[in-house]
Amino acid sequence: MTEGQSKAVFWIGTLTSAALFLGLTYDTQREFDRLTHADALDEQVVAGKRAFEARNCNDCHTILGFGGYYAPDLTRAYVRIGADGIRRRLEHPEQAFRDSYRKMPQQRLGEAEIADLVHFLRWVDGIENNDWPPQDSQRRWKRSTERLLAGGLLSPGAALLKQESCLGCHALGDGGERVGPRLEWIGGKRDAAWIAGLLQEPERLQPGTPMPAFGHLSEAQRRTIGETVVSLAAQGRMP
Amino acid sequence: MTYQSQRVAYPYFVVALLLFVAQLLLGLFLAFSYFFTVPQAIVDVFPFATARAIHTNLLVLWMLLGFMGATFYMVPEETGRELAWPRLAIFQLVLLVGTGVAAIVGFLFGWTQGRPLLEIPRPLDLLVVAGALMFLANVAATMWKARRFTATQGSLLAGLLFLALLYLFGIPFYRNLATDWYYWWWVIHLWVEGAWELVTAALVAFMLIQLTGVDRRVVERWLYVELGLFLFTGIAGTGHHYYWLGAPRYWLWIGGVFSALEPIPIVLMLVDTFRAERVGGRKLEPRLTWTFMIGMAVLHLVGAGVFGLAHTLPQINYYTHGSQVTVAHGHLAFFGAYALVNLTFFYFAMPRLKGLPGGRFTERRGQFGFWTASLAVLGMSLAFAVAGVLQSYLERVRGEPYIVSQGPIRFWMAVVFAHGLLVLLGVSVIAWDLLTLKPAPAESGPA
Repeated sequence: MTEGQSKAVFWIGTLTSAALFLGLTYDTQREFDRLTHADALDEQVVAGKRAFEARNCNDCHTILGFGGYYAPDLTRAYVRIGADGIRRRLEHPEQAFRDSYRKMPQQRLGEAEIADLVHFLRWVDGIENNDWPPQDSQRRWKRSTERLLAGGLLSPGAALLKQESCLGCHALGDGGERVGPRLEWIGGKRDAAWIAGLLQEPERLQPGTPMPAFGHLSEAQRRTIGETVVSLAAQGRMP
Repeated sequence: MTYQSQRVAYPYFVVALLLFVAQLLLGLFLAFSYFFTVPQAIVDVFPFATARAIHTNLLVLWMLLGFMGATFYMVPEETGRELAWPRLAIFQLVLLVGTGVAAIVGFLFGWTQGRPLLEIPRPLDLLVVAGALMFLANVAATMWKARRFTATQGSLLAGLLFLALLYLFGIPFYRNLATDWYYWWWVIHLWVEGAWELVTAALVAFMLIQLTGVDRRVVERWLYVELGLFLFTGIAGTGHHYYWLGAPRYWLWIGGVFSALEPIPIVLMLVDTFRAERVGGRKLEPRLTWTFMIGMAVLHLVGAGVFGLAHTLPQINYYTHGSQVTVAHGHLAFFGAYALVNLTFFYFAMPRLKGLPGGRFTERRGQFGFWTASLAVLGMSLAFAVAGVLQSYLERVRGEPYIVSQGPIRFWMAVVFAHGLLVLLGVSVIAWDLLTLKPAPAESGPA
């Protein structure tokens, strides 16, 4: 190879790669607004991001898979443990992880800061990132839900969910509305007795909830619904 | 050593070595935290996050100081004249080390930018930029005044310029998390698979020319080809970080295809190093410099090439992204590619700076240090890899909760810790050896 040829390899290799990369960067920059739902990116999300950085959360947790690997990924934390779950861990990590072999620092966050962080994580949850991470993938939920619905005719629980129009407010698999929390998510967090109690008297367990009471059902029917919802949890109950 | 101003490299090397040892101490604490339950009271004041910030920032700082020292050693010999401003070089060292110390003390008190690897707070970033500008000005002015340009110099200066420019993308606050990570990788990926490759390729080319006596034109022809391939695969290969951050789907293709090609230039570099050793036609002394250089080429290939390729394709990366698999790759690649190139250069330059005859010295301690540290880092990375595969399977494939996936990892982190102790031993011996080099016994060669 002559010197001219090797110089050509250098310049052609470098410049084609750089041109491709910069061109795609331009396109990606335009697509980001759509893929990250930038219309929902309000000042509170930004405040949450600032808090997330100020507290150096990212050197233990990963988010979008980047960061420290010492604590769970936060990309889908909002849907996985819900606003309450996030709040509980941020307010009292020393209690939330009392029995765990891995601790989270108590950083004495203010109420507003916690609200900002929850809001930030809610926005992050909406980023369309090719369905990563796999453990929180919509596809995984759908598979377990489809299995359940396939047996729906044989399942009194599924029949009750349908009869009482639960999906008029709650999402389940591909269907349902998004007024209340997703049923798979409730199933991962609560046990059957709690759900049965909520159906009987929602005000008592969750003051101020828009959830209507289902007092017209029998105790056994409410219990059946509770068991069905728990069985929807794709990954078993959260510890 | 031919020029007086090359001496400014010496304090850079000393500081770099000390920071390297400090980095390892923090690393041991991190591994320890994975298998031992650190009590809440300690976690509250010195969390894992702070230790990790210090561990990674020390890495960046010592490697950059090593590169800068190496540059100050190399530029006078390449250009054939003294550095433009040797005293500025010393001032720059004081400034950068001062900034680094301020940053680390700040981390302990929660003063941070809060973005992994770029934790240095924004006001201190300005000092880093000032230091980088002094450095670039000094190097560029020396080359300009000498009016002697070589491809090796070009690669070095381009790499340093590129390095400084990319740092700027890490400074602003980004409102959108996805945009933030997109440009974060311009600093991290384009540094290690772009700018730093240019710098190290130049350092290696310089050492090959000096040590083997191979014709400069041959070395520099290889340099062009290697760099062309490094940058061709590396620039667009940034895409392998863009799979899961909310960027368009075509990055799965771009990232996958380009990063599948990334091992090619590394293989070429390995072949080139062996070839230079063979055809140089000179007795290659000191042996230790060669041990380091070959070790670097081999571990660069294993760490960056093989471990990287193993999880770079999107079909695999979907399950391994953000797990201990990444950690395994990170440790071996950084050690193989960048820790060893620094140490190789130190072993090349230190005996000359100390005026040891023929650049030769007693090699026993250095050999012990090299083998201990290299094998221990390799073993450590394998332990990380086992932990990573376990985590990927349990958490990602089976869908178990994160904490369940961490249980079986604890044992492997204890294995990592044990290897970490050996790395600390090896590197401490290397540092001690470099700082107290002894001349080779007189009978074994001419002065």
